[in-house]
Amino acid sequence: MQFEWIMVPYSLLTLFIVVNYGLLLTALMQKIGARVGRRHGIPIWQNYVDLIKNYGIRSSITHGVMFYLGPVFRLTGGVGLLLFVPTLYGSEMFSNLSFAGDLILALYFIFFGSLGMALGAGESGHPHSAIGVSRGLSQVTTAELPFALAVFAIALQYQTLSVTEIVAAQQGSVWNWTLFTNPLAVAAAMLSFLGSMMRPPFDVVLAPQEIPIGPPTEYHSSYLALMQTNRVIFPIAKIVVYMNLFFGGAATWPVFFLKVFLIYFFSLFVGVVFPRFRVEQSVRWFLVWALPLGIAAILVV
Amino acid sequence: MVSPIFIIAGSLGGAFLLGLLRDPWRGASYVISLLVLTFTTWLAGSWLWALSSGAVTPVEILTAGTQPPFAVNLRLGIAEAAMVLLINLTGLLSALYLKDTLFKQGRRAMAVLLIFSMALSGIVMTRDLFNLFVFFELTVISTGGLILLSRDPRALAAGFKYLVASQVVSILMLVGIIFAYHATGSLNLDDMAAASAALLRGGALAFFLVFIAVVAELKVFPANGWALDIYESAHPAFSALVSAAAGSASLVAIDKLLQIGGPAWMDVASIIGIVSFVGANLFALAQRVDRRLLGYSSVAQIGLILFVVGQQDILGERYLFVAGGVLLAHAVGKAGLFWLSGLVAGRDLTAWSALRGNPLLLFAFASFLALLIGLPPFPGFYAKWELVHAIAAHDHLLELALLLFGALVEAGYLYRWFGYAIKREIDHEPIAPSLYKRAVVCVAVLAGWLLAYVWGELSPHDNLLHAVPVLFALAFLALEWLPARVKNALAIAGLLGWFAFSYPAYDPLQLIFALIVLAGGALILLASFHSDGRRLGFYPSAMLMYAGLAMLIVAEDSFNFFAAWESLTIGSYFLILRGRQSEPHALSYLVFSLGGAFLILAGFALAAQGNVQFLLVSLAEVAEPLAPWVFALLAVGFMTKTAAIGLHIWLPGAHAEAETDVSPMVSGILLKAGLFGLFMLLMTMGRQELYGVDLAHVMMWIGALSALLGNLMAAFQEDAKRLLAYSSIGQMGYALFGLAMMNHLGWLMALMFVINHYIYKSMLFLSVGGVAKRTGTRAMYQMGGLITLMPLSFIAVLIGIIAMSGVPPLSGFGGRWIFYNAIMTSEYRLPMILIFVSGPIAFLYLFRLIHSIFLGQLKDEHRRVKEAPFWLVLPQMIYVVCLLVFALAPGLALRRVDAYISNFLPQGALSWEGLTITSEFGYWSPVSIMLIVGVIFVVIFAWLLFVNRRAQKVKQFNIVFAAERPYRPETTHYAWNFYAPYKKALGFLAWPVFERFWAAVTDLLHTLAELLRRIYTGNGQVYAIHLLAFVVVVYLLKEGL
Repeated sequence: MQFEWIMVPYSLLTLFIVVNYGLLLTALMQKIGARVGRRHGIPIWQNYVDLIKNYGIRSSITHGVMFYLGPVFRLTGGVGLLLFVPTLYGSEMFSNLSFAGDLILALYFIFFGSLGMALGAGESGHPHSAIGVSRGLSQVTTAELPFALAVFAIALQYQTLSVTEIVAAQQGSVWNWTLFTNPLAVAAAMLSFLGSMMRPPFDVVLAPQEIPIGPPTEYHSSYLALMQTNRVIFPIAKIVVYMNLFFGGAATWPVFFLKVFLIYFFSLFVGVVFPRFRVEQSVRWFLVWALPLGIAAILVV
Repeated sequence: MVSPIFIIAGSLGGAFLLGLLRDPWRGASYVISLLVLTFTTWLAGSWLWALSSGAVTPVEILTAGTQPPFAVNLRLGIAEAAMVLLINLTGLLSALYLKDTLFKQGRRAMAVLLIFSMALSGIVMTRDLFNLFVFFELTVISTGGLILLSRDPRALAAGFKYLVASQVVSILMLVGIIFAYHATGSLNLDDMAAASAALLRGGALAFFLVFIAVVAELKVFPANGWALDIYESAHPAFSALVSAAAGSASLVAIDKLLQIGGPAWMDVASIIGIVSFVGANLFALAQRVDRRLLGYSSVAQIGLILFVVGQQDILGERYLFVAGGVLLAHAVGKAGLFWLSGLVAGRDLTAWSALRGNPLLLFAFASFLALLIGLPPFPGFYAKWELVHAIAAHDHLLELALLLFGALVEAGYLYRWFGYAIKREIDHEPIAPSLYKRAVVCVAVLAGWLLAYVWGELSPHDNLLHAVPVLFALAFLALEWLPARVKNALAIAGLLGWFAFSYPAYDPLQLIFALIVLAGGALILLASFHSDGRRLGFYPSAMLMYAGLAMLIVAEDSFNFFAAWESLTIGSYFLILRGRQSEPHALSYLVFSLGGAFLILAGFALAAQGNVQFLLVSLAEVAEPLAPWVFALLAVGFMTKTAAIGLHIWLPGAHAEAETDVSPMVSGILLKAGLFGLFMLLMTMGRQELYGVDLAHVMMWIGALSALLGNLMAAFQEDAKRLLAYSSIGQMGYALFGLAMMNHLGWLMALMFVINHYIYKSMLFLSVGGVAKRTGTRAMYQMGGLITLMPLSFIAVLIGIIAMSGVPPLSGFGGRWIFYNAIMTSEYRLPMILIFVSGPIAFLYLFRLIHSIFLGQLKDEHRRVKEAPFWLVLPQMIYVVCLLVFALAPGLALRRVDAYISNFLPQGALSWEGLTITSEFGYWSPVSIMLIVGVIFVVIFAWLLFVNRRAQKVKQFNIVFAAERPYRPETTHYAWNFYAPYKKALGFLAWPVFERFWAAVTDLLHTLAELLRRIYTGNGQVYAIHLLAFVVVVYLLKEGL
């Protein structure tokens, strides 16, 4: 596959749909979470309001070049990840820019935004930012592991690293989904998924309910807006990868919306039930519970 | 030609003449002594020249006008001539050296010296057993006299102990001779050899007594307490004589006796020799006094030669070459060191730091040590090569192991000593100013290098002193007076010139390594322009390392490969030793490297089965059951260099403590030597199985463990350079893992790591080195916020860590992509898990590196810090460009190699159509990725600029601080123990298990040496009992065998 200019508007369309869906979806998830806690929760359009407000704020400060670029890295990471993976199976329109690389590209590009963001947060000089990064990196070392093993397992299973071909192999029947052909890999990956969604029990990195802590501590106004934009794109981009690898992909937008919702909901579901882990606890938890699943997955393939 | 009898007659006549002179005529006496020694030296030299050029044949000298056995006869062949020359030359030089002492002691002392060298010459030349005894007695008497030349009060006691021991020896010998004469009816050695069957059957005890007496004269371990006392307390010039001349003469005597004893007694000599070699070297570990250490080392070396003498049946016609090489190297090296010790005032090993003020003497010291250890290009190197090949070919594996172990221990304590001289505080007492003493030392150095040349010529291999890279490196010794910048320009020109010259001959794999070593080496040397002054010692060492590397790449046979390997090891050792705190680390580097090198030597020797000119490609033809062992030995040897886990403990210190421009050399370039060796090994030998275990599989595990633990330990470091050093262990683990996968893409990945690791590790070491230079610390938590002050260094580190972490769009991603494709076809899946675990850990240390140094809070004391020096920044910027180019077009370097690897592993080659790289499983388009990421980034950046164009830059402490206020940068900069929770969870994996293991091993050796050396009580009677016990034990063992 080669680059064609038509891909640009197509990709932008994907982006537009995903951003809007993401804004609504994250608000909905917030709301569900609030209702579980017997609270009323935010209005469904709250994210739009926040975004417009933050982009609109004109007074802002900077701590330096990396600080300024941090959110840019972050959002580039989210958008890039989304566009490097085909969103809808079988649709040329929504295959985005997946010609540039295969699954491995997606797997490693996940880190692009986090790394840039961490650098920006570091330049702010705020110790809480650095602590957040330290926690986040520590957690990610083991949280991503079962996912990587699961990816390896299904790459072995389907003998390809191309996302499109992996989705193609799952077509025909629900029973062809990786979920059923390789449940171990899916189980490992889904545990890993919990670790990357910044929800309990693995949300000590951002600690969203507490006093300012975590990488975004010093970010405000349009920086924060960029990060909020990413916060609606990135989880969906990531879920698209999961959906394609494990749940048969999606050939139409409604299926896409449904599957993304359900996968997202899984992390919310776990999150409202379990309390938060400390970093060393989550590191151990992934090693003890999730890693063996991943190992089993690659051994039985 | 003048008859060789005048060697004896001249000395004897000279000694008598001295007796006729009046005592106050010291000058005349001294001149006569010198003239006599010059004459005998000249005579021996002229005979050696004539014999070796073939102008004359070996001569037989009859005395008393009668044929033997009725009169004594002497023989002078080429070996005897060489020995006599050695003895008389050492005598002459020692006489020069002893000038003051001899003037003080007068003509009697001079006469004794003449008798001493005459007696030793006699031992070498005589063919009569009783005459041999007479000469031994003369040696004993003159030794007794010469010991007293020393000013050391202990010398008298030492001399007395010596006489006690000698009397025991003499009695044994005399009794033996009497019975031997009885058994054979002749005292002539040739007659006895002819009648050896009868002698050995009936008069075995007689032969034994003579044999053991001469062995005891060699001062073999452990019956040698008296000898050690002599070495310690006698005048160093006399110790030189004892070690070099008397030792050599006794060895010739043993050789003569073994003509009678035959193979059965050769085995006894071998065993005594090897025990002596290992035991004395081990005991030497515990020594703190230079001359006593040299004494132990002499005992060990003579043991080694005794071992060689005992192996003459398997060495065949190469016997003289091997024995001569080891013996002459020992003689010159040991005599040189004893003479040198006379110039140093203090007796503790650390007192040799006084040599530091004198580069010439330091060079002499280094040369003597290299002579003793048998490093290239010295004779011991060629000799050990053949010796090891011969004993390996005859399956004497225990001897081989002991020999290499002893040599390693020896190298350990000798280079520890060298480290003291280079690194310890300079001794307040200066070295003796005596010019002629220094001249004597210089003559020894010259002799050493001359022998190196001669042995190179005599060997069947290429003379190492003809190799252009080595000569280029040695030429820097002569250029040391030039300013460092001029030498640096020369060095760069040399590296690039050699690359251009050799370019057409390289195959693609060699080309990649040559690019890194030569072009890459030149690039790193740009950073060396920063140093001014003369930088003594830097360029010869660095160029020796580069010479070794350059020769390694093109080596076709095992000898050249190994010689190159040793050269680069030694060069890099000197280079690492230059760091301020690097003394223990350089030593541990050297010991591990030489240990690895000896394994490689053993591997080659086993593979070659006696063929000393063994082509590397012939490794493919080594058959079972030898092949897996050869593979294992070579692989472990190479993995020592790549610092695979378990053998890695030398690396962090060595790389971290090295100088700023040395760290990138030893990390970016030198580590690749091990990978090159592994490439060579796997390309020739392929897969091997040992007891049903696939060795490649084992290597995969080792690689994976190295990757995991290297990365993990890097994450817990506070010292920036140590962090980078540990990260190298991890990176080399990846490369090893890729190689061990034994598939096409695995190898390609390893090569990708070779290139990438060179670029980003060199760059990072330079940036971190530059920062450390400016801030005066390497502890990261003491830095912080340097981004605005050192922006270029920051950019280099930023690009470096993105590349190393494997995040697209930089070149590290290519390595990861190839890795994933490679593991798809790998047979083993479990080791992958470790690699998967170790991958994200890299983020930990990389982020820590950039954050703790450049981000966070700037410290008050660093507010005026400037950007790193220009010459350090320049190569970094070039590396940045290289990384970007390599990220966009990895095909530039990899395409040809990909095709080349297909010759060995045809399955799984990549397709390089257009911009996309395609494998069997996936695809990847570096340019597209770069463009897409770039466009998205720029668009978002532009958007941010649009909505946030008036952002106001605020001061350092202007941060949200939850009702508190930041106190000071030190307490606000979150950097120390950055991953505390992680350490809590997984820190146990970074416990220094291996460090403790190796520390325990070295402690054990030292404790053993310290404990056992107490058998030397200093009591003469005890020593006599040792001697008798030794005789009895050898007899019982021999008869029991």
